Parts: sequence; structure tokens; C-alpha cells
Amino acid sequence: MNIYIYIIRRLAYLIPVLLGVCLIIFLLFNVVAGDPTAVLLGKHPTAKQMAELRHELGIDKPMVYQYLDIVKSAFTFDFGRSWATKQQISSMLKRGALPSLTVSVPAFVLATILAISISLLVAYFRGKFIDKAVVFVCVMLMSISSLVYILFGQWALAYHLGVFEIAGYDEGFPNFIPYVLLPILIWVVISVGPDVRFYRTVMLDEIYQDYVRTARAKGVGEKMILFKHVLKNAMIPIVTFVIIRIPFLILGALLIESFFSIPGLGGITLKAINNNDFPVIKAMTVLSAVAYMVFSVVTDVVYTVVDPRVRLK
Amino acid sequence: MRMFHLLVLCLCILGGSIGCKKSDDGLKVYNIASTSEVKGMDPIYAGDLYSSEEVGRVYEGLLEYHYLKRPYILVPNLAQEMPQVSRDGLTYTFKIKKGVLFQDNECFQNSKGRELVAEDFVYSLKRLADPKLQSLGWWLLDGRIAGLNEWRDKHANLDVVNYDEVVEGIKTIDSHTVQFKLVKPYPQFLYALAMPFTFVVAKEAVEYYKKEFLNHPVGTGPFQLSVFTQSNTIVYFKNPTFRDKFFPSDVDFTLANSELSKDAGKKLPLVDKIVVNIMIESQPRWLVFQKGDLDYISIPKDNFDTAVTPNKELAPDLLAKGIRLEITPQLDVTYIAFNHDLPIFKNVRLRRALSLAYDVNKSNTLFYNDTALPAQSVVPPGIAGHIPNFVNGFRGPDIELAKKELQEAGYPDGKGLPEITYDITASTVSMQMADFFKARMAEVGVNIKVRTNSWPELENRIQNRTVMMWGIAWGADYPDAENFLQLLYGANKTPGPNGSGYSNPEFDLMYKEASVMQDSPERTAIYENMNKLIASEMPWIFGVHRQQFSLKQSWLKNFIPSDFTTGRCQYVNIDKSEKENLVKSKF
Repeated sequence: MNIYIYIIRRLAYLIPVLLGVCLIIFLLFNVVAGDPTAVLLGKHPTAKQMAELRHELGIDKPMVYQYLDIVKSAFTFDFGRSWATKQQISSMLKRGALPSLTVSVPAFVLATILAISISLLVAYFRGKFIDKAVVFVCVMLMSISSLVYILFGQWALAYHLGVFEIAGYDEGFPNFIPYVLLPILIWVVISVGPDVRFYRTVMLDEIYQDYVRTARAKGVGEKMILFKHVLKNAMIPIVTFVIIRIPFLILGALLIESFFSIPGLGGITLKAINNNDFPVIKAMTVLSAVAYMVFSVVTDVVYTVVDPRVRLK
Repeated sequence: MRMFHLLVLCLCILGGSIGCKKSDDGLKVYNIASTSEVKGMDPIYAGDLYSSEEVGRVYEGLLEYHYLKRPYILVPNLAQEMPQVSRDGLTYTFKIKKGVLFQDNECFQNSKGRELVAEDFVYSLKRLADPKLQSLGWWLLDGRIAGLNEWRDKHANLDVVNYDEVVEGIKTIDSHTVQFKLVKPYPQFLYALAMPFTFVVAKEAVEYYKKEFLNHPVGTGPFQLSVFTQSNTIVYFKNPTFRDKFFPSDVDFTLANSELSKDAGKKLPLVDKIVVNIMIESQPRWLVFQKGDLDYISIPKDNFDTAVTPNKELAPDLLAKGIRLEITPQLDVTYIAFNHDLPIFKNVRLRRALSLAYDVNKSNTLFYNDTALPAQSVVPPGIAGHIPNFVNGFRGPDIELAKKELQEAGYPDGKGLPEITYDITASTVSMQMADFFKARMAEVGVNIKVRTNSWPELENRIQNRTVMMWGIAWGADYPDAENFLQLLYGANKTPGPNGSGYSNPEFDLMYKEASVMQDSPERTAIYENMNKLIASEMPWIFGVHRQQFSLKQSWLKNFIPSDFTTGRCQYVNIDKSEKENLVKSKF
């Protein structure tokens, strides 16, 4: 099948998926969330003012119209303004995406490269001391709460040693760099443990395949086997693991952004839930669903690149 | 080799960027932290502490609280003098200062700020009442000003709100005189005019920026906004066209802190720039303060023992850095509310029993580092209506008396009493407080089930009356006991501020009588009687009145903590040379 037809067909699935997502959002808002007006009007709401606000927000409309409003904003990507802050949601997302990406992209790239390199190394030394030591360190890194890394990093590396900034963010290149170094380092430390364990398992799955034995029998060197054969064949699970995480990089990391005062999107959904800020919840849910679908298609297409045996149907 | 060059380039960029912090070129910069994001800078939405503080740097109102005097008193700000009030207390006439300019902004002709006139106040108050804008401060004027409710109701169902339509109760006498007519006496009206909701805005700015007005504040205030990133940094510079306003010199400085006298009579504002850093988490805030990059902070709960000794004195290592400790009682009250719609809580003996079983002193130690003042009733110290040395006989801990009251209530050892649901918000401290409450109630045989909610969920449960008991707090909007007593006034039941739904005809009668009285010994006597009545009725389990423990750097001058922080930044000063010397030698 032509790859373009495949992409168009897969993207067309977005329509029923989005309609379903809109229905879920609608049900959650109307069944679970309750009336947002008391929270939005602050300390002194009156029944009359609450009724007026319900009218202004359009939540006194018939249910069908409310659902159609959600569908309309999902397909036009016009989510309007936040109920809680009155800010334009598109501006909020634009403003927050860049700071999140300045931390998440370098951290993700570094963590992925480091984890794949370490897993290749431990695959090479499988069963030996280095392998066991790395697995031990990985489990240890995973067992420690991410909050500990953040608190220790800020106190020891930033406050006492003064190597990094404690917290804050300055917009524009290269002003932001000093502020993102420690968050990136901590992100890498937090990610590397589980990533190495996953990639190591993938590598070891491959290393016991028949083609590896054949290559060895033919006298191919161990390094060549690892880098040319094993790594190439392990790419399918690696690609799946890596690409599907990319859209979520834009959402940043709640704890890291909060502790380092990085004005990203890390806490935007949580804050919206706490404020009953329905337009923001709607925007984040729809955008996450779209991003997930789009990157699933990207993953499929990349499969054909890394493994010519894969055919798209 | 190419890789090596790339690596060197990366290191150069990194090295360069680490040292690229911007300098302030000899400016006096006031560095502070905000513990929450700032929603926006439109005065009519300044319903939370953080937004109102930012609004108060750029905008001003007719009145303000005297910076130095306590108890709080109102003084003219944009008003030339305190208003003339008619004999019936219904008409307030304000002369406004001449020559006050709005800040230069592109919304004005030639980008030059025009002079403030009386019509601006009429426009700003109508904006507060505009039904399409749903301001958070409408409650201040609701049912108070002649013709304003009618104007609002009329426009609620129209597409366009006509600001040119005359409202009887808000009119200009001449270009610099504005008059307000009330429908009934409203002694708190002057306090309303010192609150950010009523601060004056320019019609040109509102119409020019439209919905983005909340991000482009244009006021008459001491500072002009330079950078506003909602969740990162807010930067202000001194407003170059700010009028001649001076640091107060009408106090006896021998009684006050002598340091304050140095700036008496000086033109405001005293600092050139304000940098507000949004720092939600306490650890980075604490560390940044200790590095000298913040000029003051409230001591985070988890760092309290590091900063303050058991004798409530500053820790020696902080003292050595020149840091100073400021302790300020707050005008607030924490409490555990009963839902009075439920028949079981109409039983006063049960309410008293639960209050007696609760150990407020231990709670103070556990959750407020023993810094708060246990509340005897609803009105906090510092305002008329609070009764010094009054002791509430139904406040715990007194397990024996609690058991006796429980028996009198018809529930000996808790028998026959259904399981009581205690609703809280889902935060760690709330959960710890709930566990503590549950354990205390278990001591007298009362079963408590803790239910956690998000804030909107709890609010909805209160509105829908599906709560039994819940923990909550109230901070003063203005320094008048009425603001606390209204929480128990029958007519203010949900969705009004009386969330517990308490109703007592005797209390309501006194409230009605006092609510139209100006501040006087007679009104204070009524407030005190209401306070005593509430103490015996125990409509809530009273918690504490909190105290703020804050730290300030020694180079920060004139800093006086306050419950009403709006606009106070113009009075603080920074000793730049002291800061440079101390940071070099001690930090």
C-alpha cells in the first residue's frame, strides 16, 4: 500500500476518535465535575450571580448544544479562554510549551542516548560483574523518589556548591541555559534507570536469536554483532518506546518544573482540574489525543524505515 | 576533529550563558517571591491575594490604609481628602487629586497618559457591576448603590452594556468631584474603596486592549509593568510620571522603628524596580532567600525549625547574616464547620462536645509550629469586636467535659451517633489535620470518616449541602468584625459566605442592627455581644488565628508586614551598598 494512503487513512481515524474523546469530556464535565461557578466567583458568590455566570459560560444550554460546542472547539482547535484566569488558552500553551521543551527535549535525548549506550555495554558484558553492577545501580536509581533528587540537587549542587541556578527561568537563547542545566541533569538521572532496564531486556532478547549465533559462527566480531546486527534488529521496540513519548515532552514534568520555577506546561492540567477550568481541561485532553494518534502513525512509518520487512496495510 | 570543534563550541555557549545574568546598572531592585501564579492584572478580577498585590503596584483607589499606623486606618490616596458624608450617611462626596496622570501607554493619544478625572471612577465602578464581565468584586456593591443593581439587571439580557447611561448613585459633580449615593447605610463602603476591585482604570486602555486588558495594566500607580509572564517573572519599573506622593511623616517615630524616620517625607516610590519571582515550592524559595536573591519571605513550614528557635527567636546563623524576623498576627480564623441543615448539628450540646474533644493546642503545635493563637470565637485580635482575655468555656481539650456534654446531647460515649463525614481538600497537611481530628474524636467515641476532595468538589458539596463537617479558613477582606460575623448571618446562607448555614434569630437581629452603624463604642459593644453569643453556641469548632513569621534581609528598609498588602511596595527601600557588602561577606 502506498504510504501516503496509509497515513491519510490512519489520520481519518482521528475523526471518530475525537468524537469519542469529546463525548468522554462532555460526560466527565457534566456528571463528575459539577457546577464550576461557585469556585470561579470566589469568596462571595450569590445565587443570581452564579446563574448569570452559567449563562455567560454557556453551561445552561441544552446538553446537545454543549456537546456540539466541545466538538467544534476540538475540530477547530479554538479552545477560547480559561475560565479561571481569563487568559487565551492558545497563548497559555504557546508560552508554556517552549520552556517545557527547553528542559524535556535535551533531557530526553541525553537520557535515551545514554540508556541505549549503557544497555549495549551491559549486553556486551551480559552476566558479568559490570552487567550486575549496572542493573543494581539502575534498580537503586529507580527506588529513590524523584523528589529526593530534586531536593538534593538544589541543596547540594545549586545552593552549597553554586554550580547551578537554584530555580528560575530567563526567556530567550542563551539566557535560559543556566536555569535548565540542573533540571536536565536530574531528569536524566531519573530516566536512566528504567530506560536502561528496558533497553537491556530488548538487547538481550535479540542477542540470543539464531542470526547472532550464525554471525558468531561465521567469525563476526562481538562489537560488529552488537552495533550492526543486534542494535538494528532491536530498533522496532526502541522506536515504539521513544516516539510515543515525544508528544508528551511538550507537557514537561510537573515536579521538576514546579520545583525549578520553570514556566512550562507541567502543571497546567492539574491546575485546571483544581480550578474546574473546563476549557483548559478540554484543550489538553483533545491535544493529547491528537498528538497520541499522530505519533502512532509516525511510529508505524518509522518502522518501515528501520525494518524494510515491515509492510503497512 | 569536527566533533571536537562542535564540543568546544557547545562548552563556549554553556560557559558564556552561565555568566550571562542581567545586571541592574545601579538600580534599587526589590526582589520578592510570589507563591502562586498571578492570574491577570484586571482590578475587577483581583479576588485572590496574589493578583490583588500585583494590581496594587500599577493601579490605585480613592483610599488606602495608612502605611505605619495600627490599628488600620484609611487615608486618602487618589482622593484629595476624606469624603464629605451626608447626615443620613447615604451620600459620599470625594474630591480627587488634580494633576494625577495615567501611565504613558499606546492606548492614549500620542502614547502620553492623560489626567485622571472623576468620570474614570464612574466608569470603573460600572465596570465592576457589568453583568457581562462577571467581576469577582460585585458583592462589594451589590444592593448598595442607588440605581446600580437596576442598571446591571437591565443589561444582563442585552447584547451591549451602555456605560453612558446615567446611574443615580454614581455621578460626577465636576471634573474632579465624584459622588456616591447609597440605598442604605453601608459603614464598610470606605473599605471597599481601598480594595483593588474598585481601583481606577482608563476607558481608553480597556477599549484598546479589549480581552487582553488583563495583561496590559495602565493605572496611575507608582510602578509600570515591564514584563508579565504569568508563571515565571513579573517586572516593574518606577512610573516616571507618578505624582508627588511622600513617605508618611505624621507619626511619632520615637515610638515606631527609628529606621523608618530616615525616609519620612521622601518622594515615593523608593525603589526603582520590582522583580516578582513566581516560586510555588518552598524549598527553592528558602534557598534563594538564603543566597540573598530575595529580600523577604514568609518562613516555609518545613524550614521553621531551622529559622526559629523554640523561644521564637531567629536562629543565630541567620542573625549573623543580618536577617531579621518579623512576627505579625493575621486577621483570620480557621475553623471546622458543621452543616446546620442536618438535624444532628442543631443540637448545641453535641457541637460543644465535639469542640471540647478537639485539642486545639496540640493542633497548633503540630500544624502551625506553635505560632498561632487559639481562637476563642470568630473575631480575631486587632479589630474592634475581639474581646481580649476572653476564654471560651467550650474549647478543648477537656475530654471529661466533652463526654459529659455528649451524654447530655443524648449520645453517651458516642452511642447512637452516626458516622460523621469530615470533608477536606486533598493536600498533605489537610490529610494530617483530618487524621488528628479523627483521633481526637475517637477518644470520646465519635466515629469520623475522612473524605478528600479537590477544592471545586468540596465547594460543590457545600453548595449542594452534601457535607457534614469540613475544615476551612477565612481571611479578612477589610479590618471590620462585620467581615467575620457575616459568616454566621442567617441571610448569608449558601451560596453566600455562611457555608455552614447557621441561623440564630438573636444573632441575626444584632447583625442587622450593627451592619448599618458607623464605627462607634455602641457598635463595638454589639460586636462583642455577638462574639460571646457565638462562643457559647459553637456553630463551628474554632481553630486558630494564624500569625505570619517572615524573614527580611537587613538591606530591606521600611518593610512592615500587613494583612492588606496592596500598594505597600512603594514604601519599602533598599540599601544597595549594605546589600553589596553583606552579600560579599556573609552569603
